[in-house]
Amino acid sequence: MAFLARNLVALTRQARLLDNLTHSMRCLSVTPQFCQQPKLELPTTADLQEVSKEEQKECQKIFDKVNQQLAKKEEGRLFAVVHLCGKQFKITPGDIILVEGYWPPTIGDEIRLEKVMLAGAKDFTLIGAPLLEPGLVDVKATIIEKTLTHTKTHFKKKRRKQYLRINFQRSPNTMIRINSIEVKQQVDKPSPSPINENRIF
Amino acid sequence: MVSPTLPLLVRTRGPDEFWRKRKIFKLAAHYRGRRRNVYSITIRNVHRALVYATKGRKLKKLDMKELWDTRLQAGCEQYGISIDTFKDCLARNNILLNRKVLSDLAIWEPRSFEALVNLSRERAVVETLPGLNERSVMNQVYGLANLKIK
Repeated sequence: MAFLARNLVALTRQARLLDNLTHSMRCLSVTPQFCQQPKLELPTTADLQEVSKEEQKECQKIFDKVNQQLAKKEEGRLFAVVHLCGKQFKITPGDIILVEGYWPPTIGDEIRLEKVMLAGAKDFTLIGAPLLEPGLVDVKATIIEKTLTHTKTHFKKKRRKQYLRINFQRSPNTMIRINSIEVKQQVDKPSPSPINENRIF
Repeated sequence: MVSPTLPLLVRTRGPDEFWRKRKIFKLAAHYRGRRRNVYSITIRNVHRALVYATKGRKLKKLDMKELWDTRLQAGCEQYGISIDTFKDCLARNNILLNRKVLSDLAIWEPRSFEALVNLSRERAVVETLPGLNERSVMNQVYGLANLKIK
């Protein structure tokens, strides 16, 4: 700190030593206020309101475009990311997904996958935080097969210790066919009656 | 005549030698040379293979995680954001997609992925997080024009 003090004293005598001071501060890895990186600052409150209004307009425009496209049925083939049995799947109509482990539904059951995290089309993407509005995107699926996996051999052996264990295991597998993915409501309107309030992520 | 008394039964090694060995030889059918034909060598190799198969089922999960991370990193790099910042910002935005889905999106749904990157970039700018590199031609962040840099 001694050299900093010395520089400060020198500065009081000669203003042109300012550069010198900044240099000494930089040595201390202290940056003086006037040469710090420009910080991001939000505009003042009056501006903020205008900006938020503009933003709302922008958002409304985007919503309208998406809604128009949906109304005209021009959105094309949709894809979605659903959360199912602790895993996330990216699916599109016609896909078959595999659920590993015990899962109660039986063959022929038609189900609706409600935990939709993301849905997208050619021109827009609906991103859920973390899930989309209940009832906004309708993902229907059918259980088509319930089987067991191939036999997995669980084999442990230690050399020269007379230790050898062998077990065989097969776990249930379920195949699901995705029948359809549809956007049921307009994207900016909250749903009037949530289908299932008990859904948890 | 041999009487199958109890001590003898204990010492017998189960079914006939041929059938006992055949189980092992079936597992070694695709091996080569003596590893396939000589039982003492075969069983050593079959046991080793089974141990590897058991361990490999766990390693596969770790490998997949690494693969998704690599793909995601490549996806993030093209938009000039580090993978840690990207995932941190997604979590702050309450978007809880996992590595598998994010890397899938980066590959097959580039526009959706770009939207996610834009979201996280904005969040990183607002919260002044590190990890943002200069913007390339490909990434044009929406809404940044509203934030004025003084």
